[in-house]
Amino acid sequence: MIFTDAIFFAFLAIVFSGYWLIKGKEARLSLLLVASAVFYGWWDWRFLGLIGFVILVSWAVARFAAARPIGDKNRRRALIFGISANLLVIAVFKYFGFFADSAAMALASVGIDPGWTVLNILLPVGISFYVFQAISYIVDVARGDLAPEHRLRRVALYIAFFPQLVAGPIVRAASFFPQMERTKAFTGALFFAGLRAFALGFAYKAGIADNLAQFIDPIYGDPAVMGDTDLAPWSNFSLIGATLAFGGLIYFDFAGYSLMAIGVARWFGYYIPKNFDYPYSSPAIDDFWRRWHISLSSWLRDYLYIPLGGNRHGEGKTYRNLMVTMVLGGLWHGAAWTFVAWGAMHGAALAVHRALFKGKRALGFGLGLLATQLFVLLTWVPFRAESFGDTVTVWTAFLGLRDGGSLTLSPLVWLVLPLIALDAALGRGLLKQITQLPLWRRPVFYWSGLGMTAGFILALYPLEAAPFVYFQF
Amino acid sequence: MHWSLFACAGLVLIGVHSLKLPVVGGRLGAIAAFVCGLLFAVVAVKTTVNASGIGRTTDFDKIVNAAVAEAKQDDRPLIVFTGASYSRNGLDPERLTIALNEAGYRYRAINLSIEAASLIERDSHLQQFMKLSERVPEVVFVEVAKPFDHRAAFMFGNSKFNARAIEQFDLKTSAWTGFGIVGGACEGKAGCIKDAGFLSLHAALNFFNIGLIGRGEKPEAAGTLLSYDPQDDPRQESEPADANNILPVTDWTAPQWVRSYRTIMRDRLLSTGVQTVGYYQPPVISPDHRMYVAALCADELAAFPCIDPNDPELLEPLTEPLWFDPEHLLDDGAAIYTRWLAGELIDSGVLAAPTLATAASEVAQ
Repeated sequence: MIFTDAIFFAFLAIVFSGYWLIKGKEARLSLLLVASAVFYGWWDWRFLGLIGFVILVSWAVARFAAARPIGDKNRRRALIFGISANLLVIAVFKYFGFFADSAAMALASVGIDPGWTVLNILLPVGISFYVFQAISYIVDVARGDLAPEHRLRRVALYIAFFPQLVAGPIVRAASFFPQMERTKAFTGALFFAGLRAFALGFAYKAGIADNLAQFIDPIYGDPAVMGDTDLAPWSNFSLIGATLAFGGLIYFDFAGYSLMAIGVARWFGYYIPKNFDYPYSSPAIDDFWRRWHISLSSWLRDYLYIPLGGNRHGEGKTYRNLMVTMVLGGLWHGAAWTFVAWGAMHGAALAVHRALFKGKRALGFGLGLLATQLFVLLTWVPFRAESFGDTVTVWTAFLGLRDGGSLTLSPLVWLVLPLIALDAALGRGLLKQITQLPLWRRPVFYWSGLGMTAGFILALYPLEAAPFVYFQF
Repeated sequence: MHWSLFACAGLVLIGVHSLKLPVVGGRLGAIAAFVCGLLFAVVAVKTTVNASGIGRTTDFDKIVNAAVAEAKQDDRPLIVFTGASYSRNGLDPERLTIALNEAGYRYRAINLSIEAASLIERDSHLQQFMKLSERVPEVVFVEVAKPFDHRAAFMFGNSKFNARAIEQFDLKTSAWTGFGIVGGACEGKAGCIKDAGFLSLHAALNFFNIGLIGRGEKPEAAGTLLSYDPQDDPRQESEPADANNILPVTDWTAPQWVRSYRTIMRDRLLSTGVQTVGYYQPPVISPDHRMYVAALCADELAAFPCIDPNDPELLEPLTEPLWFDPEHLLDDGAAIYTRWLAGELIDSGVLAAPTLATAASEVAQ
């Protein structure tokens, strides 16, 4: 069940109606929890046991830790246990195969046959997101930044709240728990706030992202089928075009999902902070990371980079911390060395940017934008490619060092660029002469404009909804 | 894909970024304005797409493309068969062409058939074939089958909510299908309600252009697929002994909607230059279904060439295990039917007089 499926709309209508018909706060929380269980169990009911384990461990550890004074050994042990238990879950279900394969390859390279068969473990959807939420809750409580929640139902809903359960944004307990206690009333403003976020997200995902896959999959291969790529017959322009399309797809897909999650949460009276802020308009790599997947980058900053020392122990250690944070951030995206390389490149870029510019904008907006976005585009190659070999092939295409093949992608793919630019310009208020036309304030133009937009979204809606790219993470 | 994908996406972005606050106005006025805007977008998209000649392409378009390629390379007069899965599995145009040519009849047989194709869908793809190939067949044979005539929305029993199902239920097809459902061409009251529901949904999805811009392309860009789909192994157990069971002709009649559409289709084909329009059905095991065709051939279609399969000469050999399932032939069964069909075509007199100088090379083709 994904947000663009017809079945989701039926599910949402039932839960939404029930939620606002029920009066009591506790009953509403229960309904949301049951709905979240149904939503998650829809993929595979067996995953419910796993998320149940994460919830129970997080709830119990937080209570145990909070019952001991700060600085107490057992409080620290509880924190380590809680983090380890959560990381163990993610290690087994997401990384076991990767590390076992990598170890086998390393042993084989020195002539040792490990002789083991790696189990192919099914990756539970959303595991990376809810495990990170659980860890942040345990850490916040153990640090003394947050009071522990004694009621299991609330912890369960925080970790399993269905709008952001499977692909974020990663929500902090400190912002979510108070919202559960607030009395909520259904208002037109709340409905329209949700509708606007959901509609924008739906347009991003179903209208744009799902339609971009047709430019990418023929070249980079079907993401569901590993080892089916053959880049050799494609022209260089096609390889560059497909990479550009992937840059568009991953943004519109993930930002779209995040906006829909924000919109759905609003309909239930919950506020989830934004996850994207037009990152393709960033003139510097540090600015890009303040705008791309904000909930993850801020999580990595607060729970990894700063605990490692952040920038408090000299330049050398700052660079090390940046690298460690980004490499692990890359690994978070997927159990493959190409993701590690992607993270390492971004870590290196952040370190180099810091070393060269010390946080200043030395290149100017235009040149900075060009350099930053070209770098981001180049790093999408290992992120999407199936292997380092494919990565090198595409990079050589970018550099013109490759004799291109005869197969060509439709030149229409280049229209992704103006589409991204238009979105950023509209979103960042650079086209106020369009977005703030006095005409839009007149009801007849406002509502007919809304009708037209709906009509165009329907025409763009694909016949087969593609799963969200970030589900695999 | 088409440039309108990006134009549409750009307009959507402008819309969603601009229309931020709900502007208060009269409720009725707001609804009217919204509906007008929606309809404007729907019409604008349809107009653009029609002008560009793009649509949701399906396997039927691929079959047409393959047939167009064959027709363009061949100057022999065409004899086209259009049907559903009975024909897709049971009628091999290559064998039929060879059989006719060997008998001195210089024709090229074309099969334009796909699973669950309604009469209207077949008609529109036949038109598409004629337009793209720039050829008018000498003879067109239209498959007749009881399940299709008596369930106007037969497609929904086969597939739903895919490109083919949505693409075909345009205004015209929806109206004809609705006509059929209202006339009782469905399976019981519950079946009629179900079909009407699916029809409404598919008509709405078609009307609102779902999937049209994102994946729309010109039909000729869809690739090719051969219509004849030979099968070598049965997928279901059959009772081939029943294949030779011939019942007496009953007074079966086709529902009004399909009788009307057959007339319209036939008149149009004849007016566009087709010399003969005929009807046929590949054999099925069910004697009841075969006798339905016999009844139609004796009544509604009596004035036209009509080849019903109730011939012991055809059915006797088919009592062997030559069935893919009770309604479809295996390749060996199709070979028997195709040979028999060639004889029936010759005997029916719909073909022009044999050309004595049938080129051996053409036979070999």
